[in-house]
Amino acid sequence: MKIAVLVKPALDTSQLRVKEGRVVIEETPLKINDIDRNAIEEAIKLKGNDKAYAISVLKWPPLQKRIQEAENLLREALAMGLDEAYLVADEGLIGSDQSATAKAIAAVINKVGADLVLAAEASIDNYTGQVPPRVAAELGWPLITYARELRVEGGKAIAKRDLEDSVETAEAQLPAVVSVTREINQPRIPTLLAIRAAMKKPVNKLTLADLGIKPDVKVELVGYKPVVIQRKRVIIKDGTPEEKADKLLQYLRQEGVI
Amino acid sequence: MKALVVYPNKEALYAASTLGEYAALAVGDAELKAAEGAPVVYNVRGDPRDLGLRISAVLQLAGQYDVIIMPSLKETKTIGGYMSQKLNAPFITDVVSLRAEGGKLLVERYVFGNKATASLRANVPAVLTIAPGKFLGEPPKASTKVVELSPQSAGLFRIAGVEPKASGGVRIEEAEIIVSVGRGFKKKEDLAMAFDLAKALGGQVGCSRPIAADLKWLSEDHWVGLSGHKVRPKLYLAIGISGQPQHIAGILDSRIIAAINNDPNAPIFQYADYGVVEDLYKIVPILIRKAAELKK
Ligand SMILES: Cc1cc2nc3c(=O)[nH]c(=O)nc-3n(C[C@H](O)[C@H](O)[C@H](O)COP(=O)(O)OP(=O)(O)OC[C@H]3O[C@@H](n4cnc5c(N)ncnc54)[C@H](O)[C@@H]3O)c2cc1C
Ligand SMILES: Nc1ncnc2c1ncn2[C@@H]1O[C@H](COP(=O)(O)O)[C@@H](O)[C@H]1O
Repeated sequence: MKIAVLVKPALDTSQLRVKEGRVVIEETPLKINDIDRNAIEEAIKLKGNDKAYAISVLKWPPLQKRIQEAENLLREALAMGLDEAYLVADEGLIGSDQSATAKAIAAVINKVGADLVLAAEASIDNYTGQVPPRVAAELGWPLITYARELRVEGGKAIAKRDLEDSVETAEAQLPAVVSVTREINQPRIPTLLAIRAAMKKPVNKLTLADLGIKPDVKVELVGYKPVVIQRKRVIIKDGTPEEKADKLLQYLRQEGVI
Repeated sequence: MKALVVYPNKEALYAASTLGEYAALAVGDAELKAAEGAPVVYNVRGDPRDLGLRISAVLQLAGQYDVIIMPSLKETKTIGGYMSQKLNAPFITDVVSLRAEGGKLLVERYVFGNKATASLRANVPAVLTIAPGKFLGEPPKASTKVVELSPQSAGLFRIAGVEPKASGGVRIEEAEIIVSVGRGFKKKEDLAMAFDLAKALGGQVGCSRPIAADLKWLSEDHWVGLSGHKVRPKLYLAIGISGQPQHIAGILDSRIIAAINNDPNAPIFQYADYGVVEDLYKIVPILIRKAAELKK
């Protein structure tokens, strides 16, 4: 089964750079969106003798520096076991909304072909979960979101959808788009040998012109403001457990919260 | 601006009413009831779980509305993404503030794991989901005109079964005191300590994602964080929780945050008002005893 995996080069939010009350996107490193590793793992399990490939669309500036960074990240995905990667990088996608991202992804899928598209439930930097449904709409394919279990049987994807207060069993005819949760599997850590082998696998770079897409901007960014966390940060580290417990309770009583 | 509310609840109806004229789409009787008071309600008979049915209904009505507004749920994110692509519209999720200006929408949402807010100016038509607890007004009550609608389902998938999830019977968003547990607890049985402490303090028990999602020691109604519940208690006491950004994202609005962790370098201490460096197995039993004494 031929599988496309959507792998987002996401901002590493644990290393978000803030200077003089401003978020400095350009200096914040990228990483593979965490849950996308689960999608990659699932693809490697399901692909059989066919190929599984990554599609990444660059969203964060500065473009030139990010292309190199994203290529390095894609080597990690290849080391996990994907066969090749497609990286869409274009100034027109920086700051565009997700409809152009989905169009670009769908265009790659139409070009390369796929029986199944795997993605993650959400990305760490945006956390919207909208790209997989948008890709399904763009391709006109069935869609299953929030899969915590997945199997493919008789040309169908069968998944357990993890909703807030219930679990649904969903079935869809292939080709289909499926987004997975973190609980679906444990992503593998590539061996040294696999890392070396990944250096030889192809990373294909594409622009919007290659895909015949024109972006248009429907959402304008007015600005980012860091959320300032002002906590007292009083640390109680000396004394016996008994003394520490007394101190904590005393502080909490002073605050009037207990 | 004209807004259409999908998956109507009070907060989404109120948010829509602040923009001007509005209507609601109801699939099934429960939603018809929830939409009561909206000037126009489109009523669709059918399975509320059929996402394709809802998508078709909205796409049929979308031409008459500038904004589609929904509460933030997994299903609204699913259909929101799908409809937006069909409508060639922006989809902005977890909106915390919203107003119309010069024919555009000015919205704010948290980004980067809730470490920043983004202010955005969006063209209409637009699709939005609103974060819980941010639109707490009373929607005006009109006499409702019900319009029957019978769309064809777009059929995203077939539902072969539904199992309800176990519930711990807590409403963690409403708790004033939360004693929250993480992977620092070694065994499921040890969580009894946290329940005892919560009881002594008059609070509820919360947890980090692995406790609910991976280990399944607690039901998901206890789960706090970016992908769990957002809480705003007077006191949030994190025990054996490392303080990863996705956990912190759920507790930003807490009044006082306290933490117990045996690793002095645990990130949770950066986000806490009061941090105790100690083995939870040593200090929690003492806290239970002392908290119970305070009560007397
Ligand atoms: C997209 C995404 C969404 C996520 N959403 C959420 C979410 O909603 N909520 C959430 O919580 N996480 C979420 N996570 C997971 C998050 O990144 C962390 O993995 C998780 O919060 C860690 O849980 P923890 O603190 O319980 O465990 P750990 O990180 O393993 O921390 C355990 C802590 O216990 C301490 N400890 C160990 N023994 C003791 C002892 N005897 N006494 C005292 N302290 C001890 C350790 O020092 C350590 O700090 C999400 C991740 C992703 C990628
Ligand atoms: N720029 C992108 N490139 C590749 N895949 C993406 C991109 N953005 C989102 N995705 C996929 O869609 C999922 C959900 O992302 P989001 O809609 O941003 O929350 C991600 O986990 C990826 O699998």
